Amino acid sequence: MATATKTSTNGKDTRRLIMGNEAVALGAIAAGCDFYAGYPITPATEILEEMARVLPRRGGVFLQMEDELSAMAAIIGAAWGGATAMTATSGPGFSLMQENLGYAAITQTPCVIVDSQRGGPSTGLPTLPSQGDAMQARFGTHGDRPALVITASSVKGCYDATVLSFKLAKRHRMPVVLLLDAVISHMREPVEIPPPPPPPVRSFPKLAEGDPRFGDAPFVPFGYGPITVVTGLSHGGDGLAETRGGVQTEAMIINSISKLDQDPEIRAEWTGDYRLDDAEVAIVAYGITARAAREAVDQLRERGVAAGLLDLRILWPFAEERLREVAAKSKTIVVPELNLGQMVMPVRAAVEGAAKVHQLNRADGTLLTPEDIAAFAISVQGGQGA
Amino acid sequence: MRLVDRDPIRIRLTGRGGQGIMLGGAILAEAAMRDGLLVSETQEYGPEARLGATKADLIISTREIAYPEVEKADLILCLSRAAYLRYAQSLAEGGLLIADSSMAEEMGEAESTVYLPFRATALELGNELTTNIVGLGALVAMSEVVTRFSLAAAVTGRVKRELAELNNKALEVGFNLGASVQVRLA
Repeated sequence: MATATKTSTNGKDTRRLIMGNEAVALGAIAAGCDFYAGYPITPATEILEEMARVLPRRGGVFLQMEDELSAMAAIIGAAWGGATAMTATSGPGFSLMQENLGYAAITQTPCVIVDSQRGGPSTGLPTLPSQGDAMQARFGTHGDRPALVITASSVKGCYDATVLSFKLAKRHRMPVVLLLDAVISHMREPVEIPPPPPPPVRSFPKLAEGDPRFGDAPFVPFGYGPITVVTGLSHGGDGLAETRGGVQTEAMIINSISKLDQDPEIRAEWTGDYRLDDAEVAIVAYGITARAAREAVDQLRERGVAAGLLDLRILWPFAEERLREVAAKSKTIVVPELNLGQMVMPVRAAVEGAAKVHQLNRADGTLLTPEDIAAFAISVQGGQGA
Repeated sequence: MRLVDRDPIRIRLTGRGGQGIMLGGAILAEAAMRDGLLVSETQEYGPEARLGATKADLIISTREIAYPEVEKADLILCLSRAAYLRYAQSLAEGGLLIADSSMAEEMGEAESTVYLPFRATALELGNELTTNIVGLGALVAMSEVVTRFSLAAAVTGRVKRELAELNNKALEVGFNLGASVQVRLA
């Protein structure tokens, strides 16, 4: 077999072979994460292990908590203490985090939560992949709120998505969910990753008496000015409870800094294309299923079907405009997912009949293969192609 | 085309939980990377800490790898009976299955199958836990999917320091075991 395909300019191969979960930990360190609290669970445990190894050496804090309720609570507290904080879990733990995730949302607390999805519900299929939490990541908390959910389909993608998660959590001062799956978490690929930066130096604006603390105001943790009141009750910009309802309380949830669909970086990273320009069949996929779909596209093209892939890199906010553009060109849309049909719902809502949307689902811990997707695409096209 | 010339080449390492299949996958993948190739490695195991069939899937290629799981494997290393029963049928046409000798009697002879005494050899070395490394050595000797040099470097880098010497010995013995077999890799 031919050799020497990927080397840096000085001829030395600087790639490292790491797992998706290790890439998440490295991405977190690169983004300045200095606080991790969590409880081990397959298939997310390697993130915790790596953070336990690395953080204390850099002057950061690693806490193994008694459960996922407390892990989520701890990262909220740490953020208010000035830390750049994260946790990681899988479905069972993610369910336990929902209440405090809502608290992070209403208190506009920047933090990152990784959910590496496995088969569910409940303890389900502990070691096998799933995409069953796509809707929970958006709507798992009670009440309603803007939500930011990012995903990845490669090891390098895990690193980049983690860095992006922390950036957006800070910028929009909100909890960001990084949604992976058991295969992506445990997959190893060679990657080039820059060396970690020095430990972060905390810096926040100083608050004066009367400065707004919430809504459109920047996130300033405790200790940078006068007292800040933090409550899970609806509150005004000053943080004081405001429970009579009305426009003011809604404005706290839908504030200008949470207008996610106007963020240029979100717009740039929202989706990825593969051979989509002239596609008659568009496959819309994410995570590990996007990898299968990419190969399915090549197989379909070989069989004479003009197929393309739209890879959803940011699930929420949903890339509605992009879906409408795709639907205007590709009259058949195929949505393969490792669940009973979740992201197919916003796809259908976005295209509003402009294209036929077909869902292909599997929720038994087994992956959808490129052949599965290609054969399905051909069948819904009425057997066109060979 | 020789087996080794397949690009991508798909390899499946199988055994039971505790036999070091996950570690073996990481070592072989790292060796491929050290050879300058592209590689993906995925793994599957059950919730039990020991036993149960486990597998590590590797795709090694000079081109970008889209789907990382192996459906039909060009090469299968099989260290346990349960893994044989579950994964032997995933061998691709013209592929090679390399299995531990302990299964030979029950599974019978087939043109695509070579039995070698991995576990017995590891026991002779004084540590059954080196079965996976003996197997890797033999697999690489027979298939040349990675260079011996890169494989040895990957073993040294991925095992505990105090066990590096033992594992490199296991690798050498395994390599010689594989090299001793005349296999036609069609």
